[in-house]
Amino acid sequence: MSIPTFRSYFPALDSQKLIYLDSAATTLKPKNVIDSQTEYYTKYNANVHRSSYALAQQSTQLYEQAREKVAKFVNAKAKEIVFTKGATESINLLAYSLFTSGVIKKEDNIITTGIEHHANFVPWQQISVYNKSEIRYYLPQKGVFKAEELCMMADSGTKFVTFTAQSNVTGQIINISESIKMLKSINPKIMVHVDISQYVSHEQTDVKGMNADFVSFSGHKMLAPMGIGVLWGREELLERINPFLFGGEMIDYVDVKDSTFNILPYKFEAGTPNVSAAVGLSNAIDFINTTGMKNISEQINKVTEYAVEKMKNIKFLQMYLPGQATHSSIISFNIDGVHPHDAAHIMDEISGIAIRSGHHCAQPLMKLIGAQSVCRLSLYAYNSFEEIDTFIDTLYKVKRWLE
Amino acid sequence: MSLNEIYSDIIIDYSKNPKFRRVLDNSKHRHSKNLSCGDEIDIYIKIEDSIIKDISYEGKGCVISCSSAAMMCETLNGRRYDEALKVIENVLKMSHKEPYDEELIKDIQVFSDISKYPMRVKCFTLSWHTADDILHSEEKT
Repeated sequence: MSIPTFRSYFPALDSQKLIYLDSAATTLKPKNVIDSQTEYYTKYNANVHRSSYALAQQSTQLYEQAREKVAKFVNAKAKEIVFTKGATESINLLAYSLFTSGVIKKEDNIITTGIEHHANFVPWQQISVYNKSEIRYYLPQKGVFKAEELCMMADSGTKFVTFTAQSNVTGQIINISESIKMLKSINPKIMVHVDISQYVSHEQTDVKGMNADFVSFSGHKMLAPMGIGVLWGREELLERINPFLFGGEMIDYVDVKDSTFNILPYKFEAGTPNVSAAVGLSNAIDFINTTGMKNISEQINKVTEYAVEKMKNIKFLQMYLPGQATHSSIISFNIDGVHPHDAAHIMDEISGIAIRSGHHCAQPLMKLIGAQSVCRLSLYAYNSFEEIDTFIDTLYKVKRWLE
Repeated sequence: MSLNEIYSDIIIDYSKNPKFRRVLDNSKHRHSKNLSCGDEIDIYIKIEDSIIKDISYEGKGCVISCSSAAMMCETLNGRRYDEALKVIENVLKMSHKEPYDEELIKDIQVFSDISKYPMRVKCFTLSWHTADDILHSEEKT
């Protein structure tokens, strides 16, 4: 699929003056995903896994087909795919369950890094405080992640390491398989969780191939609706950990004295799930597969490179790139003497450009790169070279306006 | 909407004006934060005999928050604290698009369009809420 054709599937780009450069926050949604929501609620709405009438069966089937689709997409087994409301819930589930199940014990240490989104930082920090156990922070210089430096933090007492596959601020892409290999060579007992939220929409993900133990991601950052996310874990590990939320659907047998829990993955899915969003996620994966992940990442890389080259020539810009490390889709920057909030606001007013400004839910990383807040542009395959040209022109206009 | 509404010359000029941007010794002081962007501001107020003898601010922020802070200092300086509280109340009303006393808040009306930009209201009100806190604590003492 060519890029003009690819763009034409996103109604948001037709209906308004919009140069959307905020896909790291949430991507736009293609028409088939949007339509799938109406179709689900029109034709298939019924609660899943409960009733025996045909409609409930169809709804259940759609939900379970979505799970199978996701499993195939990341090379996993369907029963290892736990649906959540987003990566944040996935990670909170994991943190809570690993500790309450005693898989991580008081005497163990765990490691997270300074380049994480708060969602992969605060849950680990808080559970460690509560548990009075040791948490180590790998704080890379200038926010540039180096696997060998992360490994220097690990030892025989390390039980668990979590890191992002791609920074949501510097855009650095982490070599996941290499990092996991190095960690497990230090201590084969280390379990590794990877937050692939920024990565999974544009890079082929193979959870088995990368040898991870858990991964988390959100649907809405990969063309799907908001309110659906995934926790993947190795079957034997998911079997060992406790449920996070309790209620309907996740139980096996309930008595006044105690309860037993449902099998995988249902023991982690208490309450009525977001079936329509799961169906939307399934449609998003179809859309990505039809386009081809390789075509998507190539297009994003080309436009990213184009933007970086143009921006490097602008003297009044400060850029926060990850040095020589692999990088894609995300460029954080500041305009000299201009507060990011003002820059983002004025760019929108002048050209309908949507960029993020602020600390990007990554305050530890902001400290490492030495900024209080930054502007961020982030790309997906619907973005064009022409949009970057307008963006560059607008940067000059912002600078002039505030002078 | 137009850029001139909230990025007018007068607003930009005030954001750069250093007159009220300083630390004030021996004053009442509060530090506050805009959680959505991480901006931080310090407001200092010196009160003698129920009158604001001096007022200043410090901090890093956007044009809107700095300009708002500078204009606030200019407007509140020299007022009785109960009168200052009234001004603040009316300025906050303006920012939420509620009826307010135009006579009382005078120049601050250059920001009357801020209510059209819900994402920026917090930038504008940060210093006013902070000053409000300080003056209310003064009331109690």
